[in-house]
Amino acid sequence: MRHSTLALLTVVTAAGVSDGYAGSPADAPLATALNRTVNVTLPDSHHVFPPGEGADIANSQCMICHSAGMVTRQPPLTYDNWKLEINKMRSAYGAPLPENQVDSLAKYLTTIAGKQQGK
Amino acid sequence: MGHQPDTMGERRRLILRGIAAGGLAGAFTSWSRATWAEGHIDLPFEGGQRDLTHSFPQKGEMILLRTRPPLLETPFPVFDRGVFTPNDQFFVRWHLANIPTQIDGAAFRLNVHGAVKRELSLSLTELLTKFPRVELAAVNQCSGNSRGFFAPRVAGGQWANGAMGNALWTGVRLRDILDRAGVKAGSAAVRLHGLDMGVIPATPVFMKSLHVDHARDGEVMIAYAMNGQPLPMVNGFPTRLIVPGWYSTYWVKMLSDIEVLQQPDDNFWMAKAYLVPDTPHASMEPGQTGVPMVPINRMVPRSFITSLSDDQRVPAGQPLTVRGIAFGGDAGVRDVRVSADSGSTWSPARLGQDHGKYSFRQWEIRLTPKRGPTVLQVKATNTSGIVQPTMANWNPGGFMRNVIESMPVVGA
Repeated sequence: MRHSTLALLTVVTAAGVSDGYAGSPADAPLATALNRTVNVTLPDSHHVFPPGEGADIANSQCMICHSAGMVTRQPPLTYDNWKLEINKMRSAYGAPLPENQVDSLAKYLTTIAGKQQGK
Repeated sequence: MGHQPDTMGERRRLILRGIAAGGLAGAFTSWSRATWAEGHIDLPFEGGQRDLTHSFPQKGEMILLRTRPPLLETPFPVFDRGVFTPNDQFFVRWHLANIPTQIDGAAFRLNVHGAVKRELSLSLTELLTKFPRVELAAVNQCSGNSRGFFAPRVAGGQWANGAMGNALWTGVRLRDILDRAGVKAGSAAVRLHGLDMGVIPATPVFMKSLHVDHARDGEVMIAYAMNGQPLPMVNGFPTRLIVPGWYSTYWVKMLSDIEVLQQPDDNFWMAKAYLVPDTPHASMEPGQTGVPMVPINRMVPRSFITSLSDDQRVPAGQPLTVRGIAFGGDAGVRDVRVSADSGSTWSPARLGQDHGKYSFRQWEIRLTPKRGPTVLQVKATNTSGIVQPTMANWNPGGFMRNVIESMPVVGA
């Protein structure tokens, strides 16, 4: 499935800025390529959150919608920033995290990717 | 390759089992790093350690920002190899993790409905044969490209400068599709969405809208090919909206649904997400309140050095050709200027072939580095006269960075 860079650049050069019209014989390869079934496998991450108090909440809740790397690659955020992010996940994206776990999760995220309050 | 990917479906089942069992704690025993034989890269900001991956289908080497749903950044040296970004190294950005992994092109239909005189359900063959074909070179850039450089830092995908790419897009005009359907008088907007969905039903469907006049401007198009090939699945096979000069958030992937609306769109992805300050350079002060916000829209000019990297040693006192790329945002590139003295003096670069106003354009310049540390800077001015700013912008979303780039090198 993997195209080589060289092959693609060749195609670009050949395509130029043509003004092709529908149904021409030149369309046949593209029509064939589009009218097939494409089947891929997307890799998944095996990462989980680093151990600590609240890691179980992060593993069970955050990873419903995205892999852990989205969180562990964030810059250091304050407790208040993390709380904002968590509440955005709840209110905007429908994360089923119970309200009474928000504080514990924000505290946990501040321990793994936190910075002091204030400017 | 030490990494054996499991499938999205398996992960979802695992997650759902975990929820049923009251948490995932028992499903994983330790903090583990996947082994990526391909190596690592350090992006130049705190927390910029990244794995390089070859594990995504139809993709070559990419910088891994997030596995699920995929956020994959183009390694910057790719931009030195030509004005078109290869499909297999074009950046990837998905919001929602429920992405089809199998699409039957022959059964695929693009549906047009809402405030139209005739609803349409178009096959790929119909798109290929019933509408005039158009081709356009255009830059696709994530709204949050370069977010990792924001100071102070903001939450979100921590991209360096590789969440952009340029391709030759082939397809049909959105206007021709809309005219076939017959947009009813007084319509306000055209809303577009693709086949991707959230993992849980409560997550808003990813939908973006354009003003009806923009949708019918004859430039917005539906691409079925990218650099002469069908799009890779993770770049939106089989059809993708192309909105020349506008940020990538509007370039809906796996585009399957076009709805003409009689009122402006107030869905989450237009009304709440991807908002920028309605201020010069979309900039504001951290903590500032009461700033009017608008949906992100037109891109602004940017330019980059591609033939050198940060802190590279260059021969002092000898002529050196420095090369890079520029784009004008929603206009062409008027000129690119380079400074080798921290911005005191600027020399015009020679521009390469013009592939159209929405494309990357290569530039190069001959200069003679002096001995010792030097900062090279590059700035583009677009054909509307908009020039890259000296000061970096800031907004809480981390959007629309286009400050003049600076690259330290050492003459030796």
